[in-house]
Amino acid sequence: MSDVAERVSKVTARLLKVDLADVKPEAHFVRDLGAESIQSIELVAAFEEEFGIEMDQDEALAVQTVADAIAFIEKVIAEQQK
Amino acid sequence: MRLIIYEDETFDNFYPLTYLRAIFELRCGATTLAEKLRRVAPDAPVAYFAREALAPVLRERLGAPVNDPASLQGDDLLLVNGRLLLLDASQLPAEGADEALVCNGAVVGARVGRAAAEAAAANSPAELLAALGAAAPTREVEGILLSYMWELIHHNPAAIVADFKAAGKAGIVGTFSDHATVWGSKKQVYIAPTAEVHPFVCIDTKGGPVTVDEGAVVHPHSRIEGPCYIGRGSIIVGGKIREGCSIGPVCRVGGEVEESIIHGYSNKYHDGFLGHAYVCEWVNLGALTTNSDLKNDYSTVQVYLKGELVDTGDTKVGSFIGDHTKTSIGTILNTGTVVGVMCNVMASGGVTPKFIPSFVMFMDNKAYNIAFRNTLDTARKAMSRRKRVLSDAEAALLEAALKLTKPERDELVRRSRKMLARERGLND
Repeated sequence: MSDVAERVSKVTARLLKVDLADVKPEAHFVRDLGAESIQSIELVAAFEEEFGIEMDQDEALAVQTVADAIAFIEKVIAEQQK
Repeated sequence: MRLIIYEDETFDNFYPLTYLRAIFELRCGATTLAEKLRRVAPDAPVAYFAREALAPVLRERLGAPVNDPASLQGDDLLLVNGRLLLLDASQLPAEGADEALVCNGAVVGARVGRAAAEAAAANSPAELLAALGAAAPTREVEGILLSYMWELIHHNPAAIVADFKAAGKAGIVGTFSDHATVWGSKKQVYIAPTAEVHPFVCIDTKGGPVTVDEGAVVHPHSRIEGPCYIGRGSIIVGGKIREGCSIGPVCRVGGEVEESIIHGYSNKYHDGFLGHAYVCEWVNLGALTTNSDLKNDYSTVQVYLKGELVDTGDTKVGSFIGDHTKTSIGTILNTGTVVGVMCNVMASGGVTPKFIPSFVMFMDNKAYNIAFRNTLDTARKAMSRRKRVLSDAEAALLEAALKLTKPERDELVRRSRKMLARERGLND
């Protein structure tokens, strides 16, 4: 598991109060992890804080699974490190 | 003669009300500041000058030249500062000699003949006024030069009275139930031809006039205290509309409202108190949203303006709420709170802070950036419900306001993220 993936999983588990084992790449934030709309907004903020990045809110809130979140965050990190 | 209404550099004393509109478009009384100024010369052509960012939207809204230097040529001109609250148009004769117009020591405009205007070849009213110089004769104008947004609220009752007089309309022309009552002089009421006042409504004109304009409807169990103006197509869904309220077009208003201005196309449908407030367009105040307008120690209210708290010198000041903002059920707004444009304010069990910057979701005492494009879609939906379309120019202005307000938002959003991480143990 990459460093980004590990940190995304940890933040997700703590913020949504779910077991770390349940935060699988294919897990859907709303359907599988029970994220409500307000928690989705908090998750985006938590990822921004964790990785020191700024994400486009429209794009970030369109992300649906843990794997997609990892890929999106890796892309933003790469762009913002240029 | 051509009337030139211009905005000067004080527009930011009226933020957030003026992010999407010029100062002269602000409502005070039944009409806007510009509409009152136009009474000086109702038949004269008019041109406007304002911030360049507003120009495309103003051209759409006003159907008149905006920021066009050609409008400063070819005719005699009457220039008037758009933040002049002119309660009596006779105080400013349209015709006369070239002279500077002065209100309480401040230049608020000028009358400039065609020859002098062409000789000045100015690109803006400010340039033209500067070209006239200090040597021009002056004429004192009895008006009120507004400097801060809370002054709109302060002068609103007098402006409603002045607008009622200027409109020259009185009497019950529209539908007025046999079981509704005018408590006070019937000369102080105007029910427009297509307006409806349902049974068990009390219109109290003892404190001033009441207008229920075209297409407006007042539902049962409403008490309307004058001075009050209810704009065209608005619905009072039952409640206490206390003295000094101006409700613009196509609003839905219930609960208790006192000395407030609801600009237009906004909803405060449910119970909850709104006092000494200015609410912009496309705002929705959720059920039981309440604002404080008086401090428990009766001290003067401070309002957050341009990064600092400013003492209003007034003991009764409510909220200033920007366009497209929504509050959740049970939101409690502190005395003198400023909420920016396109915010989503969620009740958190306590009073809000005194300043919520534009374009944030505010919940649990933390601010988060909104998803702008999604929120724009929501605004389009809200507007379509009232048969209005968000134009490309309006969308571009909102995007410009998003960029303009970024600095005031960023620090709070950053602090909020840190607070969230701390509270949820994300850093452990």
